[in-house]
Amino acid sequence: MITELNALRQDALRELGNIGLGSAVTALSDMTGVLFALEVPEVYELGTGRFSRVCHSPECLVVGTVARVEGDWTGEGAFIFPWESAVTLWQILAGSAPSDLSELNELYESVIREVSNIMLGSFLNGLSQMTGFTLHMEPPVFAADMAAALMSSLMVEALYGQRELLAIQTTFRVPEREFQGFFLYLPEVGSLEKLFQTLGI
Amino acid sequence: MAVAGKTEVLLAGMGEIKVARGAGVLGCIGLGSCVGTLLYDPHAGALAHVMLPEPHDDDALRMPGKYAVSAVPALLKELGLTPATASRLRAILIGGAEVFQNRESTLRIGERNVETLSRLLKELRISIAFSDTGGHRGRSFEFDLTTAELVIRVVGQPPQVHSLSRALGRMPIAV
Repeated sequence: MITELNALRQDALRELGNIGLGSAVTALSDMTGVLFALEVPEVYELGTGRFSRVCHSPECLVVGTVARVEGDWTGEGAFIFPWESAVTLWQILAGSAPSDLSELNELYESVIREVSNIMLGSFLNGLSQMTGFTLHMEPPVFAADMAAALMSSLMVEALYGQRELLAIQTTFRVPEREFQGFFLYLPEVGSLEKLFQTLGI
Repeated sequence: MAVAGKTEVLLAGMGEIKVARGAGVLGCIGLGSCVGTLLYDPHAGALAHVMLPEPHDDDALRMPGKYAVSAVPALLKELGLTPATASRLRAILIGGAEVFQNRESTLRIGERNVETLSRLLKELRISIAFSDTGGHRGRSFEFDLTTAELVIRVVGQPPQVHSLSRALGRMPIAV
């Protein structure tokens, strides 16, 4: 499918990821007082064999959220944080962090949900301003699990009812700290055409 | 295959099918809503990493292991059996969790995968020798055909080891 997207359209998706996540990361910086560096977004086909590396092993512990986006550009917005990065967020925003999975409680989960809520909300606002699209999201749901289980579940849900899956992925880091976050937007392929028409490409 | 006493694990990635004849270890990494579906014959095992209950188009022709409805017949074929001779097989089902909890718009894919597979196996009179499905945690597993030992890994817990020689109704393969 990605091969069917011409270079201009791929660039447009990357640029949307960049602008959308730029406002999302600004919102996260406002919350935490920490500056985040954004990497250039990747646009790729999320095939059954491919997970972009979110951590060193498919069985390493990650936390993440997913939220359904409805409106003119339907899809799933997801955030994934390796456990060590989530610990950094918890320490900044909650003042403490669980030492392992057994200590993970509702408070810590809600911190990650809230971060996702604000970031995805800003991402969608950025997109709305650029495209005039009406976009709204469901509350993010939380998961903590091995990376492969979380990624594959996310992928299967987004894949449901369509044959191929496109991912717009952006990585954000804190250069001097142990922090890496991943944002994925998995649009419904059918809704892409409307986006391209709106952008006139 | 045996390297320093350790057998290489044949891992079925998403939608894939892997087959081991004689000795061998079959496994899946990171099953969330997907279901590792292993059919066991005394001399062989065939494993599919099933992602969805059924296809919405002809995609099953491309990757039969991806969907429950195409994976089960494909596994039979790999083992050289027909529906008429399938009842000698034993099944192992692992996975089908809902990793993201409390979702409003949940599709219950894990649960539906397990339901569909169980129904298909029942129709073929294949009994399920062992299952560890549902719940909210992802799973990885390895099954050793030689020892009939199954190891399941869940994040944050020690690995669970199950000896299935009795459940599989036969002695482990003599090597």
